[in-house]
Amino acid sequence: MEAIQNEIVAFHHVSKIYNTGTVALSQFHFSITEGEFISFLGPSGCGKSTALRMVAGLGDATEGKVEVFGQNPKEVIKNTNDVAFVFQDANLLPWRTVLENVMLPLELRGSDKKSRKEDAIKVLEMVGLKDHIKSYPRQLSGGMRMRVSIARALAAKPKLLLMDEPFAALDEITRQTLQTELLEIWKREKMTILFVTHNVFEAVYLSTRIAVLSARPGRLSSIIDVDLPYPRERTDERFTEYVDISSQSLENSSTRRELV
Amino acid sequence: MSVQTATTQTKEIVAQSNNTGKLKIWSKSKWKIIGPIAALVVFLSLWQFVPIMVGVQPFILPKPTDVLQAAVEDWELLWPAIQITVAESVIGFVISAIIGIGFAVLLASSKILEISIYPYAVILQTIPVVAVAPIVVIWFGSGFNSIVMISFLIGFFPIISNTLMGLNSVDKNMSELFTLYNASKWQKMWKLRIPAAMPYMMTGLKISSTLSIVGAITGEYIAGIGGGKGGLGYAITVAAVQLKTPYLFACGIAAAIFGIVFYLLVSLFSHFMLRSWHESAMKGEK
Ligand SMILES: Nc1ncnc2c1ncn2[C@@H]1O[C@H](COP(=O)(O)OP(=O)(O)OP(=O)(O)O)[C@@H](O)[C@H]1O
Ligand SMILES: [Mg+2]
Repeated sequence: MEAIQNEIVAFHHVSKIYNTGTVALSQFHFSITEGEFISFLGPSGCGKSTALRMVAGLGDATEGKVEVFGQNPKEVIKNTNDVAFVFQDANLLPWRTVLENVMLPLELRGSDKKSRKEDAIKVLEMVGLKDHIKSYPRQLSGGMRMRVSIARALAAKPKLLLMDEPFAALDEITRQTLQTELLEIWKREKMTILFVTHNVFEAVYLSTRIAVLSARPGRLSSIIDVDLPYPRERTDERFTEYVDISSQSLENSSTRRELV
Repeated sequence: MSVQTATTQTKEIVAQSNNTGKLKIWSKSKWKIIGPIAALVVFLSLWQFVPIMVGVQPFILPKPTDVLQAAVEDWELLWPAIQITVAESVIGFVISAIIGIGFAVLLASSKILEISIYPYAVILQTIPVVAVAPIVVIWFGSGFNSIVMISFLIGFFPIISNTLMGLNSVDKNMSELFTLYNASKWQKMWKLRIPAAMPYMMTGLKISSTLSIVGAITGEYIAGIGGGKGGLGYAITVAAVQLKTPYLFACGIAAAIFGIVFYLLVSLFSHFMLRSWHESAMKGEK
């Protein structure tokens, strides 16, 4: 019973075939428990986004089913604030200020005006943007925009945070800073995070577990437990070992090795 | 110490480059102003002196001074005519804006409505308004009401088609973001689709601002004055019949000036509305 209660996301033999005939996912079976930081690592086009979008209720499985908190994802989205999504580009509304962008989820969910603003300022403080609340997105750098996007996702206090290659468009230094900040937030807020990436270093630096996917058709090729304490040292010997292991599985995944 | 000197030096350099930058901008923009003015002066002098040299009669081609004289002499006639045309065009424009935007939002709120009604809106647009104007006069009587109606009919379509295009141009990711937060259809409309359509709407308004004047003047040609005083279009027909060509030119130029002013006002409004975010409205900042 206990184990089931802590299960946050469950893919039950999920397949997804788009109506173009593309098999994006095939027999994907995987589950995520509370408090984990999971990365989906895989080559381009292996169905990572497809899987993530299903968790957010933005797409349906052709076969099998996806459950979030033991429920249909669409129901969870409809009734609670428990799931948030961070897109690859910051996806901010250009006509709204930073503060107004972050308040959007609270506004749509109909929380009252005063607490809305307080909550938004709190999360903006968390991502270090308190001085920019009146700026418009176009006045910010790419990294700052991504911070706003993360703040917006955090504003409604989600239990599950879904991130689709959020740092892919950023430069290396900004990316590393945001990775470290994300880990701090993850630890403090005790969330579960599902993170999509095709960057091996990123996956090893962040995750408690890495799910390696293979391409065409997208399927689970291996699972790597990253048994390293946080904060992780990128130059550490064991870190490098994990990077090697992950790179290898990523390579093997393209030769269609199966391991479930 | 050396660091300090370095910073003061850079400050000076920055200040210098600022100055030269300003100078460059001024010498560039100076020509932007002087150029058109010079062209206008050349044009007006040619217009003034060529008819004298060739010996054209003023009722065929009046000189600028003839036009100016006619405008001053008949100012008591011209001014009320301008006021009437302005009223007709502005009312026609405002009605096309309200109904155009309202109708577009209504159509966009339901795919079925849009698919079934929009084609007819397109077909209606292809009917030349001049051709149906007499029917408008039959329905609304001659004079003011019909003229406003014709102005509205001409200005309406660019607004509805542009607004509709804007409402349907929303970025897919943003739309999904709203879905994720369980936004209702009308929340999506008010907080996402309408703001996203704003640049398109403004383009529609700008196009219609000029068309509404065309509509009003055409309306006056067709719908007459119906007992009241006539606007510029009516004054032009009367002047043409009486061969008061200089006055006719004065009316035409007054309509053109009104057209420019109205367009600029609508552009200013558009700039104000899009100030916070739209690219084309941001040029000054770069
Ligand atoms: N809406 C769609 N319609 C048809 N095919 C699609 C659609 N979305 C994705 N696909 C296809 O499904 C496959 C998986 O796509 P997906 O976006 O999930 O890959 P990904 O792993 O996220 O890749 P990337 O790392 O490039 O983002 C691809 O071959 C893609 O072309
Ligand atoms: Mg993707």
